[in-house]
Amino acid sequence: MSNGHSLLIIVFTPIICACILPVLGKVSAAFRNYLALAAVLVSFVYSASLLPLVYKGELATFTVAMPLGFDFTLRADSLAVFMACVSSFISVIIVLYSFDYISHYRNQNEYYSFVVLFLGSMMGLVFSGNLVFLYLFWEITAITSWRLIGFSREKEHALRADKALLMTVSGALLMLLGFIRLYLEAGSFDLAAIRLALQSQSISGLTVGLILAGIFSKSATLPLHTWLPDAGIAPAPVTALLHAAVLVKIGVYAFARIFIVTIPLDLPWKTFVLVLCGISALVSAGAAYRETDLKRIIAYSTISQIAFIFLGFACGVQIGVAGALLYILMHGLAKAGLFLCAGIVEHNAKTKDITRLGGLINVMPVTALAFLFCAFSVMGVPPLGGFFAKYMVFAGAMEGSSFWIVSVFLLGAILTILYLYRAFSAVFLGELKISASREGSPVMVFCVALFAALSLAGGILVNYPGVLARYTAQQMLSWAR
Amino acid sequence: MMHKLLLLIFLPFGAGLLALVLPRRLREGMALAAAAADLFIAASLFGKDSACLMPWLGFGIDFSLRVYNFSAFVVFAAAGFAFLVVLYSTSFMRAKPCLGQFYGYVLISLSFVNGALLADNLIVLLFFWEGLLILLFGLIRIGRKEAYPTAIKAFVISGIADLCMMAGIALTWRLAGTLAISKINLSTDGALAGTAFVLLVIGAISKAGAMPFHSWIPDAAEDAPLSFMAFLPASLDKLLGIYFLIRISWDMFKLQEGSFLSIALMSVGALTIVLAVMVALVQKDYKRLLSYHAVSQTGYMIMGIGTCLPAGVIGGIFHMINHATYKSGLFLTAGSVEKQAGTTDLEKLGGLGSRMPVTFICFTVMALSISGCPPFNGFFSKELIYDAALERGLIFYLAAIMGSLLTAVSFLKLGHSAYLGARRSGSADTKEAPAAMLVPMIVTAAACVMLGLGSRFVLERWLAPFLGEAGAWHMPAANIMLIILTIVVLLAALIHHLLRVRATQDALKSADDIYHAPFIRAVYALAEKKYADPYEAGLAAMGLLTRALAWLDRKIDWVYNVAIPGMNNAFCGRLSAVHSGYYAVYIVWALAGSIAAVLFLLK
Repeated sequence: MSNGHSLLIIVFTPIICACILPVLGKVSAAFRNYLALAAVLVSFVYSASLLPLVYKGELATFTVAMPLGFDFTLRADSLAVFMACVSSFISVIIVLYSFDYISHYRNQNEYYSFVVLFLGSMMGLVFSGNLVFLYLFWEITAITSWRLIGFSREKEHALRADKALLMTVSGALLMLLGFIRLYLEAGSFDLAAIRLALQSQSISGLTVGLILAGIFSKSATLPLHTWLPDAGIAPAPVTALLHAAVLVKIGVYAFARIFIVTIPLDLPWKTFVLVLCGISALVSAGAAYRETDLKRIIAYSTISQIAFIFLGFACGVQIGVAGALLYILMHGLAKAGLFLCAGIVEHNAKTKDITRLGGLINVMPVTALAFLFCAFSVMGVPPLGGFFAKYMVFAGAMEGSSFWIVSVFLLGAILTILYLYRAFSAVFLGELKISASREGSPVMVFCVALFAALSLAGGILVNYPGVLARYTAQQMLSWAR
Repeated sequence: MMHKLLLLIFLPFGAGLLALVLPRRLREGMALAAAAADLFIAASLFGKDSACLMPWLGFGIDFSLRVYNFSAFVVFAAAGFAFLVVLYSTSFMRAKPCLGQFYGYVLISLSFVNGALLADNLIVLLFFWEGLLILLFGLIRIGRKEAYPTAIKAFVISGIADLCMMAGIALTWRLAGTLAISKINLSTDGALAGTAFVLLVIGAISKAGAMPFHSWIPDAAEDAPLSFMAFLPASLDKLLGIYFLIRISWDMFKLQEGSFLSIALMSVGALTIVLAVMVALVQKDYKRLLSYHAVSQTGYMIMGIGTCLPAGVIGGIFHMINHATYKSGLFLTAGSVEKQAGTTDLEKLGGLGSRMPVTFICFTVMALSISGCPPFNGFFSKELIYDAALERGLIFYLAAIMGSLLTAVSFLKLGHSAYLGARRSGSADTKEAPAAMLVPMIVTAAACVMLGLGSRFVLERWLAPFLGEAGAWHMPAANIMLIILTIVVLLAALIHHLLRVRATQDALKSADDIYHAPFIRAVYALAEKKYADPYEAGLAAMGLLTRALAWLDRKIDWVYNVAIPGMNNAFCGRLSAVHSGYYAVYIVWALAGSIAAVLFLLK
C-alpha cells in the first residue's frame, strides 16, 4: 500500500466511523466505545508510521484532480506528521477517559460520533495541501465543537456554544476572503504552488490581516479569545480535546503552515503578531489569576500558553520554531491532563468553584499529584517537558524579537506559576471542605496519571521528540527560503 | 571516569526513588548507605579533572558534565553535608510522619545538586538547578499540615528567579554562541551582556538565599522539618548558589573591578549582611534566629565575590564552606534542643548547658566561628573579605564589621538564654541527644576548628587554584589593624551583652536596646509591617496588575456579549420597522426604486 493511501486511511477512517457510530450505539454501547477508540487509534498508528518516511525528507501525497483549482490534495511533510501524531495521540487517551466520564450522560452516540468526526476533520486539515480543503475541514471542526460545547442542551450551554461558533466562524469567513485574495495573487489554492509563485514577491497586507483574523479566532488569541473560557462548560474530555490539546492548535498550525512554510511574514506583520501575542499572554494570565472557576482558569491558561507558541513560530529562528513544536506537544499533554483532572474534581466533588473546594489531596491523591505535575510542566519546571519547550521559545525570542517582547512574556511566565499554584492550593491543599468527594474511577485516574507520566517522560527523554522538532524546524525554514 | 560522574547523579537518584517505596526498616540503612557511597565517590574525584559529553537536544544543548578542582571540592562538601544530615535524621526524624518522602526527596535533591555542580552546559545546569524546586516544595510541605503556604512561597520565589536565569541563559547563548560553561568568555560591557549577567546573578543569589530572595527561609525554619534547614538553605543551597556566582562572575563573564555591576553586587551583599542581621537580633525563636543569620552570612560571600579581588573571591569561597559547616551544625544543635526539650522558643528555654553539655560545647564553638572569633574558621574568611572590602571602599568594610558586631550580640543572646541562666518551663528533665545526632554536630564543630587552624593550607593549596591563572595566590600578611579592630568589636559585643544582662536580668532582652535605638526602631517598624518582605509586596503588585488585566478581559468580552448583539438588534430593529406592512409605504418604496433604476439606465 502506498503512503498516499495511508493518508486516506488517517483522514477517512474516523470520518466514516463517525457515521457508523450512532447506528452501532443502538446495538451495543460497549462496541461503539471500542470502535470509537479504534478509529482514533488507527489515525494515530498510521500517522506514526509516516514518521520514518518524512524524516528521510520525503513527502507522501495523494491527489484527485478537480476543476477550478479545487484539487483534493493530501500532503504529508514533517510538520503535518508531527502535528497529526500529537493530536491523534492525545485524542486516544481522551477517548479512553470518556468511557467512564461520559457513561452517565445522555446522547452518548452523538458524543462519540462528533468526537471522532472532529478528529477526522482535524487530520484532514493537517494534511490538506489545498487551502479550499483546509477551509472545509476547518469549518467541520467548528461545527463539531459547536455541537460538543452545547452537548448538555441547556439554554446557557447552547448560548455559549453559539458564541464559540459565531466567533470562530466569522474569523474563518474573513480567512476565506484572505484565501481568495491569495488565489488571485498567486493563481492557485495549492500551498506548494503558492510557495513557488510568491517566492519573489510579497503579498498585500490586507490578505495577511484577513488570514490572521481566522487564525487568531480559532486559536483564541486576544481580542478574539473570550469564547474559549466560556466554552469551559462542556464535559471535561471535550474541553480537554477541543480547548487544550487539539482544536486551539489548529490556528497555530495554520500559522506555521501558511506564514512560515509558504509565505514568510514581513517585518511589520511579524512585529504585530509578537505584540498582540504578548498582550494576549499577559491579559489572559491576569484573568486566570482572578478567575474562581477551575475550568475557566485552565482555559485562560491555554490562551496564555498559545501565545508562547505563536512567539516561538513568529520569531522565525530555528530554535524558536523547534521550541514551538515541542511546546505544542508538551502543552497538549500537560493541559489535557489538567482538564481531565478538573473533570475528576468536578465529577466527584460536584463543583468547580475553587473557593468551595479544598484539601482534595487527602481523598484523591493520584489526581492531585497528576494535576501538580501537569501544572509543573505548564510552568516550565524541569525535569518536565515544558521546561525545554519554554527555554527554546525564549532562546528563539531572544534572537528573533526584541528584548521588550521577551520581558512581557517573562512576566507572563511568572504569572503562570502564580495562577497555577493558586488553583492547585485552593483545590487540593488546606482543609477538606467537601467530605463526600472521592478518587475518580480507575480508568479516569489512569488517564490523568498517564498524562502526568508522559509530561515527565517528555522532559527526561526530551531528546526523542526534540530531534523530531529540530528536524521539522530545519525543514520548515529551509522551505521558507 | 565518565561513569563516575554519571554515578554521582544516578546513584542518589535511584536510592531516592527506592526510599519512596521501601519499608521503614530498610529505608534508613539504605539512605545512609547511599549517602556514604556518594561521599566515597565524591572523595575519589577530589582534585581530578575529567569530562563527559553526550549529545542531547541540539542547539548547543549537550548533556555534558565536567569535574575539575573547584567543582570536585564543592561536590565533596555537598556529599559530606548530605551524609551528616542523613545520619542525623536517622535519629531526629524517627517519630515524624512522611519519612519515606523525606529520605526520598533528600537523596533526589542530592542527585540534582550533584548534577548542577557537575554540569558543563548551562541548560543541564538549569535542568538540575530548577528541578530542585519540586523537591524544595515537597520537603517543606511534609513539615506539617499548615506548611504548604510556605512551600508555595519558597517555590514561587525560587521559580521566578529561575525564570530570570532561564532568560539569562538564552541571552548568553545568543551572545556567546555556546552553552558550554567552560567555553563561555564574555565581558560585562554592553547592555545585552550586562543584562545577561544580571539575570544569571539573580538566579545564583536567590539560590544562595540573599536579599531580596530570602523571605521564605525564616518561614521554612518554622514549618519545614529541621533536617531540611540544615540540608538545603544552610548548606547545599549556599554551596550551589555561591559556586555558580563564582562561575559567572569569574569564569564566564569577566567582572571588572570597580565596574557598576561589581559595586551593585557588593551593595547587595552589604545590605543583606546588615538588614538580615538586624532582623535576626530581635528573633525569639532558636530556628528563626539562625535562619536570618543564614541570610546575613550570604552577604559576606556575595560582597567578597563582588570585590573582584582574588583575596575577596577566595575569602568568599572559604566563607561559603565555613558557613555551610557552622550553620548546618548550628541548625543541628537547634534540632537536638527541639527534640530533647520539645521547643525552640527562647522564652521557654534556659539552662540547657548542664543538661546537654556536648550540644552546648558544639554550639559554643560554632557560635564563635560565625561571630568571626579567632582562631576559628569564620575569623579567617571574614578577615579576607574585610581586607578586600576595605580596598573597594570604607562603607563596605563598615557594613561588614557592623554585621559582625550584631552577629556576636545576637549569638551571645541566643547562647545565654538557651544554655545558661535559669531553667524554664520548656527545659525540665531534658537529656543529652542520642549519639546519631551528636556525631554530626561534633564533626561540624571539629571541622570549624580544623578549617580555622589549617586555614593557610586550605586557602593556598585547595582554594587558590580554583581561580585559574591567579592560582599562585598567597595568603596576604595579616593586617594587624583589621585584626585588632575585629577583636575590639567582639569585645564590645561581649561587654554590651554583660552590661545589658545586668541591667535587664534577662538574657533574652539583652539586645532590646538596639531594637529601641531611635533610627533603627523605624527600620524595624517597617519590617514588621511586612514591607520588608518582597514576596508580599510582589504579590500585592501582582494583585493590582491582574485586577487591571482581568478588567480588560471582561471589557473585551463585553463587546461580544453586549455590544455586538446590541448593535445587531438595533440594526435589525430599524430594518424591521421599515417593513411596517402598509401598502402605501411599499408603493412609495417601489416607485422610488423604479425611478432610481430608470435614472441609472438613462444616464
